[in-house]
Amino acid sequence: MTEPVQINASTATLARTSVFKRILKNPMGLFAIAVLSIMILVAIFAGWIAPFGENTANIGKTLAGADSVNLLGTDSAGRDTFSRLVFGAQTTLLSALLCAAVAISIGLPAGLIAGYYSGPFDSAANWVVNVLMALPGIIVLLTIRAAFGPSVWISMIAFGILISPGYFRLTRTAVQSVRNELYVDAARVSGLSDSRIITRHIFSVVRAPIIIQTAIVCGVAISIQSGLEFLGLGDPTVATWGVMLSEGFKNVYLTPTLLLWPALAIGLAVGSLVLLGNAVRDALEDREKVTVSKRNDPPTVALQMQRGPRKRTASVEVGTEKHLVKVSHLAIGYPQANGTLKPVVNDVSFTVDRGEVLGIVGESGSGKSQTAFSILGLLPPEARIISGSIQFDGEYTVAPGEDIVNQSRLSELRGKRISYIPQEPMSNLDPAYTIGSQLVAPMVKVLGISKAEAKKRALKLLSDVGIVDPARTFGAYPHEVSGGMAQRVLIAGAISCEPDLIIADEPTTALDVTVQAEVLDLIRDLQKRLGVGVILVTHNFGVVADLCDRVVVMQAGRLVEGGEVREILGTPQDPYTITLLDSMLENKTPMTMLVSQGGTKS
Amino acid sequence: MVTFILKRIGSGLVVLAAISCLTFFLLYFSSTNIARNILGEYATPEQVAAKQAELGLDQPIFSRFLAWVAEALTGNFGTSWFTNESVVQAISNRLPVTLALVVTSIVIIAILSTLIGVAAAVKRGWIDRAVQIAAVIGDAIPNFVLAIVFVTIFAIQLGFFPATSSIQPGADGGAWVASLTLPVIALVISGLTSGAQQVRSAVIKQLEKDYVRTLRSRGISEGVILFKHVLRSAAPAGLTVLSLQFIGMLGGVVIIEQIFALPGMGALAVQSTTLGDTPLVMGVVLYTVIIVILVNLLVDLANGWLNPKVRVS
Amino acid sequence: MKFGPRATSVAILAAAAVALSGCASSSGGSSSGAATDTLTIGSLSNITSFDPAQAHLGHQMPLYQAAYDTLILRKPDGSFAPMLATEWKYNEDNTVLTVDLRDDVTFTDGEKFDAEAAKANLDHFKSANGPDAAQGGSISSVDVVDEDTIDITLSAADPAMEYYLSQVPGLMGSPKALGTEEVKTVPVGSGPYVLDAKASVNGSQFVYTANKDYWNKDLQKFSKVTIKILADVTARTNAVVSGQVDAVLLDAKNGKQAEGAGLEQVSYPVDWNGLFLFDRDGKNTPALADVRVRQAINYAFDRETMLEQLSLGHGEVTAQIFGKTTDAYIPELDDAYAYDPAKAKSLLAEAGYADGFELTLPILPGTEAIMAMVQQQMADVGITVKQEAVPQANYVTDLQAAKYSAAWFSVFQGEPWVAIKQAIGPQAAYNPFKTTTPELQEAIDAVQFGGDESGELAKKVNQYVTDEAWFAPWYRIDQMFYVDGTKIAVEPQAQQAIPSIYNYAPAS
Repeated sequence: MTEPVQINASTATLARTSVFKRILKNPMGLFAIAVLSIMILVAIFAGWIAPFGENTANIGKTLAGADSVNLLGTDSAGRDTFSRLVFGAQTTLLSALLCAAVAISIGLPAGLIAGYYSGPFDSAANWVVNVLMALPGIIVLLTIRAAFGPSVWISMIAFGILISPGYFRLTRTAVQSVRNELYVDAARVSGLSDSRIITRHIFSVVRAPIIIQTAIVCGVAISIQSGLEFLGLGDPTVATWGVMLSEGFKNVYLTPTLLLWPALAIGLAVGSLVLLGNAVRDALEDREKVTVSKRNDPPTVALQMQRGPRKRTASVEVGTEKHLVKVSHLAIGYPQANGTLKPVVNDVSFTVDRGEVLGIVGESGSGKSQTAFSILGLLPPEARIISGSIQFDGEYTVAPGEDIVNQSRLSELRGKRISYIPQEPMSNLDPAYTIGSQLVAPMVKVLGISKAEAKKRALKLLSDVGIVDPARTFGAYPHEVSGGMAQRVLIAGAISCEPDLIIADEPTTALDVTVQAEVLDLIRDLQKRLGVGVILVTHNFGVVADLCDRVVVMQAGRLVEGGEVREILGTPQDPYTITLLDSMLENKTPMTMLVSQGGTKS
Repeated sequence: MVTFILKRIGSGLVVLAAISCLTFFLLYFSSTNIARNILGEYATPEQVAAKQAELGLDQPIFSRFLAWVAEALTGNFGTSWFTNESVVQAISNRLPVTLALVVTSIVIIAILSTLIGVAAAVKRGWIDRAVQIAAVIGDAIPNFVLAIVFVTIFAIQLGFFPATSSIQPGADGGAWVASLTLPVIALVISGLTSGAQQVRSAVIKQLEKDYVRTLRSRGISEGVILFKHVLRSAAPAGLTVLSLQFIGMLGGVVIIEQIFALPGMGALAVQSTTLGDTPLVMGVVLYTVIIVILVNLLVDLANGWLNPKVRVS
Repeated sequence: MKFGPRATSVAILAAAAVALSGCASSSGGSSSGAATDTLTIGSLSNITSFDPAQAHLGHQMPLYQAAYDTLILRKPDGSFAPMLATEWKYNEDNTVLTVDLRDDVTFTDGEKFDAEAAKANLDHFKSANGPDAAQGGSISSVDVVDEDTIDITLSAADPAMEYYLSQVPGLMGSPKALGTEEVKTVPVGSGPYVLDAKASVNGSQFVYTANKDYWNKDLQKFSKVTIKILADVTARTNAVVSGQVDAVLLDAKNGKQAEGAGLEQVSYPVDWNGLFLFDRDGKNTPALADVRVRQAINYAFDRETMLEQLSLGHGEVTAQIFGKTTDAYIPELDDAYAYDPAKAKSLLAEAGYADGFELTLPILPGTEAIMAMVQQQMADVGITVKQEAVPQANYVTDLQAAKYSAAWFSVFQGEPWVAIKQAIGPQAAYNPFKTTTPELQEAIDAVQFGGDESGELAKKVNQYVTDEAWFAPWYRIDQMFYVDGTKIAVEPQAQQAIPSIYNYAPAS
């Protein structure tokens, strides 16, 4: 009971923490801000910090080493390297800012207008952007310099124009995605002027990406500017790091340190800007993760190696080998930042026999999918088995005491003896390959049959799952078929290698109501015909009543009730089951948490 | 498919026209001293005037542009004002060097960043952290700074490589390799880190996709999932990054070629723009833009091949 | 330790060079089999066109000398010797130069060199509007006397005509090729070498092979000559230190590195360095009209220190613009304006500029160090220097367009008449305000019509412009030329930025 409260509390604090604080907490971000702040301070107070003027020459002391007067030595004109570095910060940073300012002042309004009103302005602006992006930047800058003289400022204004498409595209995309959202509509209906809507609603959306983009642009501007100056195309009367670099390269044989300092300054400045951009992005993403996203599955990477010495699989308890699946006292947890494991499944036990259909019912976050995936061995890599065991057909896939699913044992079973029907049909097919090839490949691999034979079987399977024109579907890409059809394809895939157990994870939730019934009929028919065991994960008692022999009810990671479907439906014992059943009887799908308990994993 | 390509070529031509127009008028501002600069310091004002007439510089800008366009449309890009070499000849002499430099770098970047990016995405752990840190460092150090450091250490101090180019027509493979090694390394290092970073995040994004789990549940091996399915879907992101790097490098080599005294397009660009050699600058700009447009077209075609959804629409 | 790897790579390069030259000599057949019968030079200047009339003196000359012979040969010490011309002499009033020509020379396209060919070349030079066209300005006509004699008629005496005929106007190309498109990229001359166009890339390198039928084997010392264009001084240093080129012009600071790598230094003064005080009539900067102000500027410079700091002491301080190798040179003028800031200040005060004045100077990329010193020392006597950045391509134009009242420059010290036409005469390229005085004009005229005496008479011009402080020269700077002494021997060329192509020989 105390655990979810903690989560809520921490969520709340995290949401309140400003992005800035989060950046400071990130060591990289802190470093970047520290370096940039120092550089900016140095630039502002250059006149006070630098012991000499940027062009003050001590003609009697050229290319001198470091001493107490010239902290970093002098250059070929006897100018103080340290002072020039300090004044260089001023020019270099200011010119980078100028470049970003020009780019923003062109790209941002253009992007706002193009994104908000679209129409002819949008097409015109896009065309200009295409031209700008195809321009060979450095050559244009060289030409501009030849035309208008070696001014740092003119070069940077020109570069700002060249780089403005970045801001334009960023703003335009952001605005387009926001434009039709509800709150903007609402604002429009309530009579707010376009400019108010733009400034109030849309501006807040593009603010963060623009900060990131600006950090990157400033870095690029410094590199480009230094590059041009290195070519000897800089303004010789102004101390910048690029001019110093050029001067250093000329004297690289006599005084290599002249090259070192400006190179270091450029590297530090550009690096800090990159780091700052990364830190801002990370900070924003963190906030989104905590406050917005509830669906936070870590990637299901199953590549990791079995840890520790390979143990012989322990034998299962005598008498239980007759069960197709037996889950005993299973607990699954995820490591937390503080080093503890947060359980999402706790002390769950059930069995499935051959030819039997078991329903696992519960709301989002009840741990039902985690349980199902643990049988498939497809938990995220960071998931840990805290306790309990899983056995399949008389052998442990998770033996007592093991903390992860044994991949070598499960890879023998997956696809061959245990198969899977996912929830969302479209996202579970690889868009890059035809449906046929996605059906054929597992059969070739698992059944060891030829491609031609696999194709024959696939066509038969497609017709078995009720697809009218199997040949056409076979050659189609996933985006060319409907959702219901795709789910039939996935079911065909699931039965293609004659499994003993099918795990169906909400197989109808994503489908239209009319299609739902057809798909359920199909699963029932196949189950009867093939005599396979099925674990059906669902939140819907209707589906359970329709298909299952037995059912277990899960809530907040625990099993609250289990038994014959008729019994549970008829005389539910647990209050939670009763609530669930009530909601079903009122013909409603529980959209929200019914009880204030629940984890974050689904 | 054909209409798509034709459409793209059509719009490319329009962009090309716009850019030539823009560049030509920009060059106008730097063309005031051309005749004097060609003739040198001891030329008399009469000589300068004669030269201006010879080059057509006494004509108004518009008729100059039209004359250039008329010639260019017949495939005649003129001769350089300063070297009298035909523009096509000058560029075809230089282009192989730049392309060798850029293409070699891009190929190495593509291969290495795929390997490293995939490894970082799959293995995570230290290699992942190393890639992330390297990406920041790679971004932080402009490639020309790296190049300077390389020349100073490996060519000048240690003498492992030639400090300036030994690439010339008829130069043997060894000379090319020796001359290109350091510049390619400099370009690869700064491109590789961000390339690997992009591949890494694209692969991670794909690994999080539902279909990967389904493929696993079908008993497909991890290797097949990774290299047949995940990489293919991650490839468009990688290709886009590579094409951006390619375009960026076409500009970036200007400085790199200068450092290594490589006789490539970059050196030509610097020479011709500083002198205001209009025919040559126009040639360089046109070639570069054509390459950029072609690369973008190729990337779009490749993406269409990789992603059937894009192919249809 | 440090030399280990470099020695290896030099060995590899040398092996490669031997292999290459082996191929070359087996086909060429003219080589004596010596290890170094190839020459690779780093040049800082590219060419505009191989049309001989488009050539430019100084850095470009070796590129043309390889392919074209000149009428007169200028020897390393600056004296003149026969080449395509066997003899030449002036008439009484120095307005007609009669030139006898060789009759045994053919161009590489088979055309014969004769009086018609020489006339065609000189006429072409006059009409082609090349960079050095001004040098032919005094030629009014060229007439064929007989098959191997021409008369060059001048509109007025020109004491530098011999010199010109050893420079660009004297370059002789095949009359058939002159004016064609092809000659712009492939030279057709009678010179000691022939351009290998296939192996050459304009702006990068030019490769020449020995002209098998060359008439004067004494001037043809290599089987192959490569000239690499390396505009950047660091690139040239890298190239010569790593053995990619045999000979190259550096500057004092990069020279140190070349010395460290065991290269041989050949130094000789060519340029003078300092300020041109253009606005002597005070059109834009009234202060400069006062000779005391111009003298004050001269006194403001600590020439010794500047030479030491800017060029590591490689050169000689001076206050005159005429070179040591010319007859106009006056030794005492070298220290006419010894460093004396106090005197500078009092001169300024006398002229009414006790509070100084402001002077705008153009600054080129790469001359930051020089300008920083100028600014500092001028400030010390009260003159405020404002620097204005000018791109390389506009610098000379801006100077000649009288945009600046004064400017830094480095100019070669030619023959007296050449120098006068360059910087002193009213039409001189570097006299943008066209300043002159009757007294000076008289001295200049004396030089022009002085015949054999003209060099000596130029002393008066020298004295005048130095006393009047037309310039503020600082020093004659040494050309820091470096060669790989184990392979190449070279003699410096008087009054020319780099040695002529004839001055190189394989090391004995």
